[in-house]
Amino acid sequence: MKKILINIGRSALCYAFYFMLLFNVTHLLANNLSIEYNASKLLSIQQINISGTITDIKGTPVAGATIQIKNTNKGSVSDVDGSYTIAALAGDILVFSALGYKSKTVLVDNQLTINIQLMDAITLLEEVTLNAGYYKVKDKERTGSIEKIKATAIEKQPVTNMLATMQGRMAGVNITQTTGTPGGGFEVQIRGQNSLRFDGNRPLYIIDGVPYASDPIGTGINSPVLPTQPSPLSSINPSQIESIEVLKDADATAIYGSRGANGVVLITTKKGKEGEIRFSSSISQGVGKVTQFMNLLKTPEYIAMREEAYANDGITDIPYYAYDINGTWDKTRYTDWQKELLGGTAMITDIQSAISGGTAQTQFLLSGNFNKQTTVYPGDFGYKKGNVLLNLSHTTENKKFTSTVSVGYTSQKNNQPRMDLMREAVSIPPNAPALYNDDGSLNWENNTFNNPLRNLEGLYEVKLNDMIANMVLSYQFTDNLQLKINTGYTTLNNNETTTIPSTEYNPAYGLGAEFSSLIASQATRESWIIEPQLNWNKTIGKGKLTALLGSTFQSQKGNQLVQYAFGFTSNSLIYNLASASNVYTLTSEESAYKYQAFFTRLNYNWQEKYIVNLTGRRDGSSRFGPGKQFANFWAVGAAWLFSKEKVLENSKILSFGKLRASYGITGSDQIGDYQYLDNYISTGINYNGVIGLQPARLFNPEFGWETNKKMEVALEAGFLKERVFLTTAWYNNRSSNQLSGMPLPGTTGFTSLQSNMDATVQNSGIEVTLRTVNIQKDEFSWISNFNSTWARNKLIEYPDLESSTYANQYVIGQPLNIQKVYHFTGVDPQTGIYTFKDVNDDGMLTGIEDKTTIKDFNPQYFGGLQNQLKYKDWQLDFLFQFVKQINYNAASYFGLPGSQTNQPVNVLNHWQQSGDIAPYPILTDGSNSEAVAAYYKYFESDGAISDASYIRLKNISLTYDVPLKKYQCKLFLEGQNLLTFTKYEGADPEFKSAGFLPPLRVFSAGVKVSF
Amino acid sequence: MKKINNNNIDTLSKKDISWRLIVAVICLLIIVLASYSCDDFVEVELPNSQLTANGVFEEKTTADAAMTAIYSKIRDEGLLTGGSTGLSHLLGNYTDELDFYGNAQNETTAFYNNALIASNSNVRQLWNSSYNQIYAANAVLEGVENSINLPIEDRNQLKGEALFVRALIHFYLANIFGAIPYITTTDYVENQQAKRVPLNIIYGSIKTELEEAVLLLPENDISYIRVRPNKYACNALLARVNLYAGHWEEAVSEATTVLNKTSMYVFEQDLDKVFLKESTATIWQLSPAFDSGNTLESETFNFTVGPPPLSALSTHLAEAFNAGDQRKIHWTKTVSDGTTSWMHPYKYKYSNTGSSVENSIVFRLGELYLIKAEALAHLGELSNAKEALNQIRNRAGLNNTTAQTQTELLAAILQERRFELFTEFGHRFFDLKRFDSIQSVLSEVKPGWDTNDILFPIPEIELNLNTNLTPQNPGY
Repeated sequence: MKKILINIGRSALCYAFYFMLLFNVTHLLANNLSIEYNASKLLSIQQINISGTITDIKGTPVAGATIQIKNTNKGSVSDVDGSYTIAALAGDILVFSALGYKSKTVLVDNQLTINIQLMDAITLLEEVTLNAGYYKVKDKERTGSIEKIKATAIEKQPVTNMLATMQGRMAGVNITQTTGTPGGGFEVQIRGQNSLRFDGNRPLYIIDGVPYASDPIGTGINSPVLPTQPSPLSSINPSQIESIEVLKDADATAIYGSRGANGVVLITTKKGKEGEIRFSSSISQGVGKVTQFMNLLKTPEYIAMREEAYANDGITDIPYYAYDINGTWDKTRYTDWQKELLGGTAMITDIQSAISGGTAQTQFLLSGNFNKQTTVYPGDFGYKKGNVLLNLSHTTENKKFTSTVSVGYTSQKNNQPRMDLMREAVSIPPNAPALYNDDGSLNWENNTFNNPLRNLEGLYEVKLNDMIANMVLSYQFTDNLQLKINTGYTTLNNNETTTIPSTEYNPAYGLGAEFSSLIASQATRESWIIEPQLNWNKTIGKGKLTALLGSTFQSQKGNQLVQYAFGFTSNSLIYNLASASNVYTLTSEESAYKYQAFFTRLNYNWQEKYIVNLTGRRDGSSRFGPGKQFANFWAVGAAWLFSKEKVLENSKILSFGKLRASYGITGSDQIGDYQYLDNYISTGINYNGVIGLQPARLFNPEFGWETNKKMEVALEAGFLKERVFLTTAWYNNRSSNQLSGMPLPGTTGFTSLQSNMDATVQNSGIEVTLRTVNIQKDEFSWISNFNSTWARNKLIEYPDLESSTYANQYVIGQPLNIQKVYHFTGVDPQTGIYTFKDVNDDGMLTGIEDKTTIKDFNPQYFGGLQNQLKYKDWQLDFLFQFVKQINYNAASYFGLPGSQTNQPVNVLNHWQQSGDIAPYPILTDGSNSEAVAAYYKYFESDGAISDASYIRLKNISLTYDVPLKKYQCKLFLEGQNLLTFTKYEGADPEFKSAGFLPPLRVFSAGVKVSF
Repeated sequence: MKKINNNNIDTLSKKDISWRLIVAVICLLIIVLASYSCDDFVEVELPNSQLTANGVFEEKTTADAAMTAIYSKIRDEGLLTGGSTGLSHLLGNYTDELDFYGNAQNETTAFYNNALIASNSNVRQLWNSSYNQIYAANAVLEGVENSINLPIEDRNQLKGEALFVRALIHFYLANIFGAIPYITTTDYVENQQAKRVPLNIIYGSIKTELEEAVLLLPENDISYIRVRPNKYACNALLARVNLYAGHWEEAVSEATTVLNKTSMYVFEQDLDKVFLKESTATIWQLSPAFDSGNTLESETFNFTVGPPPLSALSTHLAEAFNAGDQRKIHWTKTVSDGTTSWMHPYKYKYSNTGSSVENSIVFRLGELYLIKAEALAHLGELSNAKEALNQIRNRAGLNNTTAQTQTELLAAILQERRFELFTEFGHRFFDLKRFDSIQSVLSEVKPGWDTNDILFPIPEIELNLNTNLTPQNPGY
């Protein structure tokens, strides 16, 4: 039975697709006939021309408002001055609507002039429709957990990565920026860490219906300047996004089956709107600086520290290599190296233009964007991004056939130094010599100074071109039945190079271009998707049944070529592989991923009061071996709008109340391709003229899906006509059958093995969002949005953990993201050496027995408080983000106290003589091996971990709407990371990549004009 | 709408009906397609860049590539790499051969200060890459075993080489970590619970395997440039293993087997030619990664301006050379910045050359003379022992040894090994341990030295992952 149609496969689907296209073209012709026919028919009926002006509450004209005759397709759009005309019949009802306003209906009743004042849509819940991926749902009727941010919030942030725009604005979504270097990546976690594998926690990203592979495309060896490999998600331009929806619970994500476990991020790009052609353009210029510098020793303190260290070590004859204090370097010179190396100003320029418009049937949008960002490092480095988005949609006159096409193309170019200067900026002795000689060349101070600017000689360059195309065709057979085909195509091309030119080395070594090297990586990724879907609805009893049936065919191919070349004839030929005396291919691989699914949704809505939603999906993925490829996923969600019950219907306080709950199973197949195969791959490395072959991995053909059972109960309540709206959700997700690279002892030849483990990880939490309209006056309004998440991650079950390979890494009942560390017991007042608790009292500090202190690195709670204030033509938006967490503290940046590296000023408070109680130990240059060993252990103790909670003014924006008649003009000031309140003493509490440039503080000013 | 359609447009509505029919059929097709999950669709073909494990061992070229990949790994990572993370550099710093000048954050600092801790990542890397190399050797052994088409001589060749590699890596591991797991399978279920095996049993296994390899491997050198081990490489390793195990007769006999093969191996008298890749005194060497490349040793040790970027020859070693020892002139080099001067090992002299000149030599005749001398000295054959020792001394421009008694002679041999074999994969460390003089020698010159430092810590993460590996070596 199952095998009947196997061979029809894809080709049959293509035929179906062609038929569809053909059908639509002919149908368009047929429609034209009926248009003429309708027109002649209508002329015979008496109608009147109505005109008027549409204004808002302040009396300002509302341009682009639509005026539609209810229950017809006929409509009109208001002009810039708010005026409109429309022909209608006396009995018609006109519906006036505009974005951001409550719509209004008026009976024509022989009026010739109808002036309308639209009210600001403060309580938008009634009208808000959420994109749930395969279907849309009204916010008030949803059964699942969906967060949304809209263009209005996204546009007000001076950031280039769309992930940054979500930070602090969504409950349950934890986003951290990994570096302040432009083009760097973000870490995103939706409702915690589900998978034991770090890489297995990425959400699914879908752009206009097309899944977008977010996994990094470059190679790790190529980008030492970035702490994590960047994701191609940076291609998406925030200013072209209409909305971002995040699906969290089973009800919303189960329809994505095996890819929904970690949540789904849906990105919808802007579409053209009906109305006159509108042109808008904006330009802004920003400046970025490092948020804060660490407070380090100045020269006299530093010199004193070093001298004391040698005195402690009993060394009177300062060794020749201690250039900082043996007289080689000027002992009075002072340079603030952080200021010198990281004190620059990054210039951020952003230009955007868009043209859009259309008729009731055809709408278009064409927008372009250019962004340029320099760095805080000395030198000419920068990031550039340009993109174009075209969007076209057409609906036939009878509204039966709709087609939408959108094509986005992005080109990014990033040009950065090979190495981040952060670590050296905090460690170079403050009396180190000048960077440049008088003649402008780098100063190596007679070979005693490892000039930090050498790091700028090597370049890391990325060129990433990316196209996403999407077409949706739908046909409405009857009012109840709709066929829809969603097709998508993405292609991406990444070129990365890293140069290590000989100029990175001290010229005294006499190394020429024959020592220069280049790492070049080229990667492409291409994918297509076809998703035919059938929507059907029917009124049954007092309720409405909606059904969706669909199927997915998806294929992704990638390939990557990484080459290493060295020995160039000249440094100016360093990008030319042909000029290298040796070229080696490190990676040359291709991968294919195929995915197929069949999904369904059944929704029954009884009088908009009781709603049940069932979703299901059967998924097959090529990432698993034969017999393990298919699995089923499902969810059930229900909602009860209790405010519609008779008792509460007329309540003056409670204006909206809903209780919803969901339960279901989702999965994860994020394990990379071909992991089930036992095979050999090329090493790319030569031995006596032969390029080697090596076993690719320890193989395990048996592994299957990871399953994630999600449960949620939520209460949504609106009070006082929804001026206060509170959503409280409790969730409990359990991931089991953990698919993981199980750590193995090195004696197996590898350090991990992919397998399904009988472990269960639980993520539970409470999410609260509170939206309040604090003040709502004609000229002044103030709206607040607060969200907060208390989340707890816990390893629930792990049979036989004691004898497993995880015995000493995980603890049942504790989160996954823990570290077992020594307990720091302070500096020994007698010896001045760090001491730690010897838990088993055996007189020695040993890892297993004595690292018993557990530190949880998950945030305890996090969230944001967003405010929007409007006064006449002024608007002020600001967002405070807060996180309660711990992290490795500033100590992790610094070398041994007393050695030839700078230290934070706190080190002044160190042990000096017997009896001293001090937080920092005895100073040593390294000869005191006990102190050195204790110093290393310190990093593995809770002494190096401290509170890293913070409250940050993440984003602020002030907009002035210049009151002009003819066109709109907005002036805006925006800021990012402006203020931080924290006790943390490291570079930045927000981010976790010690030794890398933290996120910048950005100020930006701009103007936006539209007409 | 109904009103519009009801009258005289029959043709249109007929058309409409036929369209609907077509669409309905298409829909049906799609739904049927969708509901029958075709397994075919989600099966992907193996990419061009990969080969199945079985396929690799059906052809000589691919099977050879699997074997040579192990040598390139040995050359590039783990114990025997000439890079700064290999034993030559690390144990040089750990003992009295090298002084470390590099960045304090560099992990070598902990070796130089004898302040290793169980979580040292370099130690872990030594452990992991060694067992990865052993895994690859076991995979070759199993692949060859299951191969159907590979000719018998190729099987023997590969099996012999894989056994040799497995023995070699275990030998070094045992000497730096003490009792270690002896891994002979690719089965991870078994290997993840591997137990530590006492040293004498490890030596027994190594000997058995090498004796088998001696029978499997040809006498001749299939690579023509001595980069693939042959029978004599196994004899050379056997000589060393027997010496370490105190089996003096066998050590003498194995060393003699190689030394007597004068048609292949000739003692090179010119110190400047000992480390050239064509040297006939070489028994086994590692081919460089690049045709124009030379050794990683030259990259690690050589520097042209001071101060040394990584390590320099320790002043103790530099001062210990006897007057007139030509090795101090030919195998070390002095670099000065005008006021201070440093020396560095200069056995390997070349970096980037048009075509490679030097390979990294793992076994050479010099060591075999010293093995023979030492084993004979233990057996009381003092004059034969002296003769072997004098071969080395004379080449270095030194007179015959003046040692008279067995004790004196053994001390002279230890001294000679120091000057002959410095910075070659940690000989000094192993020699001091064998002679039981490590404590007395190193505590004099290394302030951080203590008795427990004779073994490295088992990587902490290994102990965490495999409880069978406990207890940790003493002192960690």
